[in-house]
Amino acid sequence: MNYIECFRTIARHRTDELVVTSAGNSSQAWWEVTRDSDASFYLDASMSLSTMFASGLALARPEQKVWAFMGDGAFCMNPGMLMVEREMNLPNLTHFLVSNRVYGATSNASVPNFEKNDYAATARSMGLDRIFEFGSIKEIERDFAALHSANLPGHTFVVLEVEPFSDAEQKLEQPPFDGPELKYRFGRHLERRTGCNIFGYRT
Amino acid sequence: MTGTKHDIGWKIANELATCGVKLIASLPDNWLIDVIDTVKRDERFRHVPVNREESAIGLCSGAYMGAMGSAALMGASGFMTVIYAITKINYTYEIPLFVMATLRGAAGDHHKHHISNGLYLLRVIDAINMPYAIIDTPDEVPLISRSYRHTRTVSRPMAVLLTRDLLRGSQR
Repeated sequence: MNYIECFRTIARHRTDELVVTSAGNSSQAWWEVTRDSDASFYLDASMSLSTMFASGLALARPEQKVWAFMGDGAFCMNPGMLMVEREMNLPNLTHFLVSNRVYGATSNASVPNFEKNDYAATARSMGLDRIFEFGSIKEIERDFAALHSANLPGHTFVVLEVEPFSDAEQKLEQPPFDGPELKYRFGRHLERRTGCNIFGYRT
Repeated sequence: MTGTKHDIGWKIANELATCGVKLIASLPDNWLIDVIDTVKRDERFRHVPVNREESAIGLCSGAYMGAMGSAALMGASGFMTVIYAITKINYTYEIPLFVMATLRGAAGDHHKHHISNGLYLLRVIDAINMPYAIIDTPDEVPLISRSYRHTRTVSRPMAVLLTRDLLRGSQR
């Protein structure tokens, strides 16, 4: 499945979910198909921590649904994150594992054991129940509604089997924001949406 | 002033609750077991045991972006593994982070495998220009609130380092 078309399809199913992307190609792809600069946090500077960041966000804002994207390169660095996610078991969190079997941000170098890694089986071994695997746009279109019914028990883990970025896709624009600008755009959006106070000084 | 290990656990928990901490992400260190047991039983907190210290940095940073106060609790050796996460997430995005770590390797710590922490922990913290405060006695526990608030003021991380005398009782 083409990486960008996969993201374009998922973006069409988005309603009001907050999105956290990861180091690697997911930030480029999400920016390419959404140009969202308010309800998406492009956590480029974070090898393997995007879903932990999203878990903290989802814990703090249980009334919001949170989607977190992570490449399998990042996943290989910290698969134990699934133990923490299972322990937290946040019904408003969906973890999308974008499996292209390479380190996409570093010239598509292979991830270790790339031919045999079974990410859904890894998740099952850690006790996750709500696991989906999509290898085609057709499968996403057919089954996305099931995973999209968030706030069911347990957090959701989705494996997206995609092709690595082509040379042309590697040149897609990165989200054009410095870190503090992203923080304030996302945070102010969330403050407006929920009435919460992120940046105010505490007494 | 001295306190029992149990007293110190409660004193630290109360201080964290006072400054608005709701999430505590931790990895254990023997010196921290009483503190962790205390916050785990305390309904004012959501305690999350994490798989590695970097995960605590990610969790607490995300919680901040959802307006939830948090603290990452870890041993000195664990802190030495989170430099990447702190400099990438908390420095790049200017996200406040409050860390509590043990001051391993200082005089009084008889574990030889912590010699490296004694040699390098403070120098590593200095190398990334991260402010810290050392808490050595129960009277100094209010530094937790002060340091936590400082992270919010400067939009940067800060650590408090807890000594053996504080956590395990003073020894000669």
